[in-house]
Amino acid sequence: MTVNYRVGVDIGGTFTDIVLLGSDGTIHTKKISSSVDNYARAIVEGLTEVFAETGLSGADIEEIRHGTTVASNAILEHKGARTGLITTAGFRDVLEIRTLRMPRLYDIAWEKPEPLVERRLRRVVDERIAASGAVERALDPADAEAQVDALLAEKVEAIAVCLLHSYANPAHEQMIAEIVRRKAPDLPVSISFEVLPEIKEYERTSTTVINAYVMPIVARYLRALRGGLDRADVPARLLLMQSNGGLMTSEAATEKPMNIIESGPAGGVVGAQALARSKNLPGIITFDMGGTTAKAATVENGQVTRASEYSVGGGIMIGSRLLTGAGYLLKVPAIDLAEVGAGGGSLVWIDAGGSLQIGPESAGSTPGPVCYDKGGEAPTVTDANIVLGYINPGYLVGGAVKLNADKARAAFEEKVAKPLGIEVARAAHGAHLIAASNMIRAIRSVSTERGRDPRDFSLFAFGGNGPLFACGMAESLGMTRVVIPPSPGLFSAFGLLYADVEHHYSRTFRRLTRKADLDEVNRAWDALATQARDQLAAEGFTGADAKIVRSAALHYHGQSFDLTVPVPDGPVDDAMLRHLEEAYGQEHERTYGHRAGTDEPVELVSIQVVGLGIRLGGGGGVPERVRPTRPEPDAPPPRPAYFGPQTGWIETRVVRRSDLAEPAAGPLIVEEYDATCVVLPGWRASLDAAKNIIIER
Amino acid sequence: MAESRDPIAFELFKNAIFSIADEMALTVFRTTYSGVLKDNMDYSTGFADANGKLVAQGLTLPGHLGSIPTAMESIMRHFAHDMREGDVFIMNDPFDGGMHLPDIFVFKPLYHEGRRMAFAATVCHHTDVGGRVAGSNASDSTEIYAEGLRIPPLRFYDAGKRNETVVAFIEKNVRLPVQVFGDLRAQLAACHIAEKQFAELVARYGPDQVEAYMVETVDYAERLTRAALSKLPDGQWSFEDWIDDDGVDYGKPIRLFVTLTKKGDHMLVDWTGTSPQVKGAINNTLSFTKAAAYTGVRSVLPAGIPNNEGVFRAIEVVCPPGTVGNGVLPAACAARGLTGFRMTDCVFGALAMMLPDKVYAAGDGGNTGISIGGYYSNRKPFIYVDFTCGAWGARPWADGLDGNSHMFANMASHSIEVTEAEHPIQLLAYEFVADKAGAGKFRGGVPFRRDYRFLEEEGVLQVRSDRRTHRPFGLYGGSPGQPSENYLNPDGANETLPSKLTMTIRKGDVFRHVLAGAGGWGDPLERDPAQVLKDVRNELLSPAKARADYGVIVDTRTWTVDAGASELARAEIRRSRGWTTTPVVQWTDAAPAAQAAE
Repeated sequence: MTVNYRVGVDIGGTFTDIVLLGSDGTIHTKKISSSVDNYARAIVEGLTEVFAETGLSGADIEEIRHGTTVASNAILEHKGARTGLITTAGFRDVLEIRTLRMPRLYDIAWEKPEPLVERRLRRVVDERIAASGAVERALDPADAEAQVDALLAEKVEAIAVCLLHSYANPAHEQMIAEIVRRKAPDLPVSISFEVLPEIKEYERTSTTVINAYVMPIVARYLRALRGGLDRADVPARLLLMQSNGGLMTSEAATEKPMNIIESGPAGGVVGAQALARSKNLPGIITFDMGGTTAKAATVENGQVTRASEYSVGGGIMIGSRLLTGAGYLLKVPAIDLAEVGAGGGSLVWIDAGGSLQIGPESAGSTPGPVCYDKGGEAPTVTDANIVLGYINPGYLVGGAVKLNADKARAAFEEKVAKPLGIEVARAAHGAHLIAASNMIRAIRSVSTERGRDPRDFSLFAFGGNGPLFACGMAESLGMTRVVIPPSPGLFSAFGLLYADVEHHYSRTFRRLTRKADLDEVNRAWDALATQARDQLAAEGFTGADAKIVRSAALHYHGQSFDLTVPVPDGPVDDAMLRHLEEAYGQEHERTYGHRAGTDEPVELVSIQVVGLGIRLGGGGGVPERVRPTRPEPDAPPPRPAYFGPQTGWIETRVVRRSDLAEPAAGPLIVEEYDATCVVLPGWRASLDAAKNIIIER
Repeated sequence: MAESRDPIAFELFKNAIFSIADEMALTVFRTTYSGVLKDNMDYSTGFADANGKLVAQGLTLPGHLGSIPTAMESIMRHFAHDMREGDVFIMNDPFDGGMHLPDIFVFKPLYHEGRRMAFAATVCHHTDVGGRVAGSNASDSTEIYAEGLRIPPLRFYDAGKRNETVVAFIEKNVRLPVQVFGDLRAQLAACHIAEKQFAELVARYGPDQVEAYMVETVDYAERLTRAALSKLPDGQWSFEDWIDDDGVDYGKPIRLFVTLTKKGDHMLVDWTGTSPQVKGAINNTLSFTKAAAYTGVRSVLPAGIPNNEGVFRAIEVVCPPGTVGNGVLPAACAARGLTGFRMTDCVFGALAMMLPDKVYAAGDGGNTGISIGGYYSNRKPFIYVDFTCGAWGARPWADGLDGNSHMFANMASHSIEVTEAEHPIQLLAYEFVADKAGAGKFRGGVPFRRDYRFLEEEGVLQVRSDRRTHRPFGLYGGSPGQPSENYLNPDGANETLPSKLTMTIRKGDVFRHVLAGAGGWGDPLERDPAQVLKDVRNELLSPAKARADYGVIVDTRTWTVDAGASELARAEIRRSRGWTTTPVVQWTDAAPAAQAAE
């Protein structure tokens, strides 16, 4: 039997993780330093090394799935294309004025992010389309030509076009697009009607501009990667992870790179989703904690929860999601991730009011935590975990870095325990709990803030530090089950293997549900579905492999926020509209705890279609049982660990994952190559068939 | 026994209680009907202890910082001894704890086994509460009785049962009852969320410990505030500013005068010397005047101090009754937002005297309120309410921001496309205007204009703007910004309108508002010529103005600065303006020679 391999590649700022999964369940993993000057190089070199170690070759690779930060880095570092923007006269500054709001109160030093298109590269055309779509002032082709010429004379590398109310009538935008394509056939063009045919000029302009801004960058990167793979004799096709958790072909990503901007963190959530489906878990909360940040998301009934917009470079939540205005607004569906600035490197300190605080400042990788012994003097969360005995005091998992536990303890004693007047273990435990409580805010923002009770969910933890905190966080939240997947430190790359091809389409379509013209509604939805089907067919998904899922955003007439509900298959008739009204009312009640009376008019706000390209029976067709090829290290001896003032220090067993084939009661520490998992007293750990650690109480 | 000094458990509790206040705020945000709430964030949520002391306030509107305690006091005065589980209280009366009539407060006492332990509090700006003008925010009302429905502290729910009398009175006295009750539902939902989560806290920590921690949360904020105040210099600083007029007595300026006295860990903000209350509807309640002071002072303190009673203990605010900062009956106050913004700017002016390298020059003066209301031909009402501001004063280290909300109200602009889809209004322009920002080593923020075309047969336009005769001041050599402007039909008759007005408009009329430009900071002749060139290339500054204000000569063919010619031009300006010392505050253009060069 020939074994085909599917490859997941996740690029982070420091490491590039590569996971190969064979159709027989064999796993090979590789972690190498990212090649920051040219990310494609590390991928090709990493694969070549794997081939050398395993005897595999490019011909054994069936498909490469890739999560990349190339596009988001271009935005964060302002290294995108020199972009020109054409917009309606009178509205030249929509992009720069933004929404006026800033993300921090009382901050005189606040600086707005620089617009991605400088004012002089923003040109206007004298035209006007009304909210109804009627042309009020026709676009003069000579005017449009003059503005395009002016931008070409400025040697722009991409052009974005966004005119007022183009979602209702794209004629003028299309005229400008044709002019650009005629005058500069190779120049990337991003047209708002094609990118985001939805109402709200700032959101649409910003999204269209971001797309244009990264188009040449992503195209260049994908060309380089393809070339490298070809030279390494890897003919397999390349699929990119999108911010929404679905895959798209590299061709589609080149056209609409706005969809792959938050590609990085999506892989782990999608992997968690696949697991929730296979184990029939109705709800899971994912918790991904690394060195500097922690992220949470939810999967309900097998579906990842998505947000309709987010800010690129918006940074971590500052306590609340109410404060917007940071970063660059991108209105494309994305996995709804809440992020807080808490990681292993977060600093532990005492504020002027005498309160113990964690982060948001981080020791980073240099000098790093005190225990790294590289000059760091400020205690960190990782130092707390060392003092508590959770992390092996001799060396970092994998044995690569020697640790100095005495230094960590001394720093805690001096900088935290003494000023607070408590013993050092208590201080370190407090730091551990407060870090957990900060991260709980991320979990609350994806659960309780949306009317979901975390106790109905399982906590799915990964990332280098996730398994250290998961059990304690679950306890605080009243949750009763924690799941730790195999290779938790590599899980973002692993998760890529579980994704399906997915394309999202939406369109503003404001109609009162009781006054909607059914023919018109059906035509609009059918048009989006056709678009989705055509895209899937171009990628080789037809018949049963191409699945269309519809949804609708609704609100009570007069509200300014909406909620999305699924739309059943079949033609839209009166009965279905009544069904949608009721579904909206129920979702409103569920999310906010109240709903209006049934006579309150409901408005359809936008219609949405997702096209799914499904192969090998969905979930990416990943085999249920996987077989890691890396041997486990020997289990270290038991060591004392501290679990709070009630229990104090306990001599705690340290085990390997495979030892949990025999279920065991906490306290327990599971040491692995890429992560350490803490099982608290009162909890019980076991292994399931897929080698997930299941911790329950 | 409660272990009230456990620093770790306390930090965990504090995280939890502030996340409840924020979650209440999110609940309002997501379920509101009104753009004023969602986009302008003109609402607040909070959490008070059993005695009504504010323990935590959600992160929304700085302008509401003093509001909940004052309203709480009123509720306690009326109901402290007549309160039971399931009660909900409602009020908006500015002369009994409220701020202005559109701000309706909803409070819910929270109980544990029959013992009152806390209050959930919300306040929201409602789109309309009746009165003589749609939107209930006219600046030219001269007594509270014209401004709309005055709700004294009342029981909205009596032991869980809705008070239908209150509901009926509200319903018959507002123009858009569906929106008002939709937003009241949002307020109730926020209280409900608070109740649920507070019960979980009590279950975890026990009632005694929760009470002890609420006290400690307030003490903690006080310690942080006092520690930060201690690091500021001691002394006394005063600042004076003027509102152009109240829109009733046209041309009669209104004095704002503040004195900061900082000693040790205490700050006194004293408004004695501020003008008597005025006829127009811009009189503040004391609570709003306090919020202005807190906003200014907090902006020079480190971030991360929680919002509660503890902050207010360390920052004392005094304002004599009967002044524009503390109106008494029958003062009209619907449009008092203006005074709140300007008192904030006045506090910043005094702080700039105290901390010259930390505080900005004057911005555009806070938001301009524009509302357009009337009836469609089918007699259904429409009300469009827009508040807009956006130019920050220059800072001692950087230019003022272009297109950023005022510190007092972190609001967002409405989408133009949504406005046009929902109202009989078309916007013809929303863009920056060149040559309006005050010059300086760091220039003031660039203002924008908004042009509104009215599409219905007839409507009433109301405008509340200012900074027309008293321009945004520049600091330490920086020039003042250009005044705000209002026009009717700019491409036709182009009639200049006053800064505050209520008038009838008809189909096709175009109203243009240009914000005031913000003040500059530092000597304009010290500005980096490359920065001047950048503004000229971006058409935010004309070549003529670059020359007149900055002595920078730009060659617009090559887009370069003529260094030699600029050197000469700067020398000429320096000579002719004849400064012996750098002017600390500038209200008017101080360089006659520069004007002559234009």
